[in-house]
Amino acid sequence: MVKKTKLSVLASKLLPWRMGVQSAFLLTWLDPLGLRLHNMCSPVFHCYACPLSTFACPIGVLAQFSALHIFPFVAVGLLIAVGALFGSLICGWACPFGFLQDLVAKIPTPKFDLPKWTGNLRYVVLIVTVLAVPYFWGEEHWLFICRVCPAGALEAAVPNMTGQAIAGEKIAWPNALKLTILGVFLIAIFLMKRPWCRMLCPLGAIFSLFNRVSAFFVRFNADECTDCERCHKLCEYGMEPEKSPNDSLCVRCFECTNCDLNALTFGSIFEHS
Amino acid sequence: MAAMLTRKGKIIVFGLLILTGVVLLAYGVFFHSKNILPQQNEDSVMLVQSEPALIKEVSVGGIKRDESGRLKRTYDKTPPKVCPT
Repeated sequence: MVKKTKLSVLASKLLPWRMGVQSAFLLTWLDPLGLRLHNMCSPVFHCYACPLSTFACPIGVLAQFSALHIFPFVAVGLLIAVGALFGSLICGWACPFGFLQDLVAKIPTPKFDLPKWTGNLRYVVLIVTVLAVPYFWGEEHWLFICRVCPAGALEAAVPNMTGQAIAGEKIAWPNALKLTILGVFLIAIFLMKRPWCRMLCPLGAIFSLFNRVSAFFVRFNADECTDCERCHKLCEYGMEPEKSPNDSLCVRCFECTNCDLNALTFGSIFEHS
Repeated sequence: MAAMLTRKGKIIVFGLLILTGVVLLAYGVFFHSKNILPQQNEDSVMLVQSEPALIKEVSVGGIKRDESGRLKRTYDKTPPKVCPT
């Protein structure tokens, strides 16, 4: 039997409180002190036009800087550093947009799974709408990420339109494509678990690149595994953790580490297994 | 690749990545800056803005590239409240 490391013991104690951790991070991103620190990026997907956003969205910064033909040292440096440490653990534990989808997924509606290949669409979104379209056609182009982003629509457009309506000002409606994508997203989150994260999120696409080399990861102890496939049921996102423990589609919720046999545990490069 | 990496190899890769990230981040915060034209072209005094200031500007759509490729403010005195997208 593999002896659990101190870190994996701590992680297993924290696991039942994952939603609490996500809530705590949510408070961080929602600018409780009104600081509006938009001269810095956060490492999560949260629109900087949201009235309650502490930091700037790293994807928005990447796209805007691409449009301006400036290399975004701060955003890229932050994403590399955070990715190297955590990989997509940020998605599973810190991201407010992922948290929203997790909350809605609790509602007992029929759930459909997504084919694995749809995860590659995240890289298409990243390359096309975040990098290429802004670089070649600028931020006015209809495929500029911020003009179609459902996070922007939900977190910024809706509250800002509501504020305008209450103040009796002229309401600035988002474009039709953005509204359509928001509508599809709001339906999808009732029918699938984390559809944005698993199919289209460009930030998740970036962090997933670090999953196999990050400092913190899912450790698979093959000697302990009996192929019972309990981890398949524990995983809420259709993964097979024992076959691909640090898959690029994994959001690192670590539910699979509830494996009774210690075959899947929280691992780090700083500890011996 | 990851399967073949020993623990030592993973630590080296992690170290290189974290160093790269921190160096880029530090350069962006403390050294990187750009010259920005004011909105009114007649005033030829360029504004020098650090990258954190640029991040804040782009979050409200405060900068654009003009036809000649130079960076220019989109507002005169008061910046927009929110991003126009």
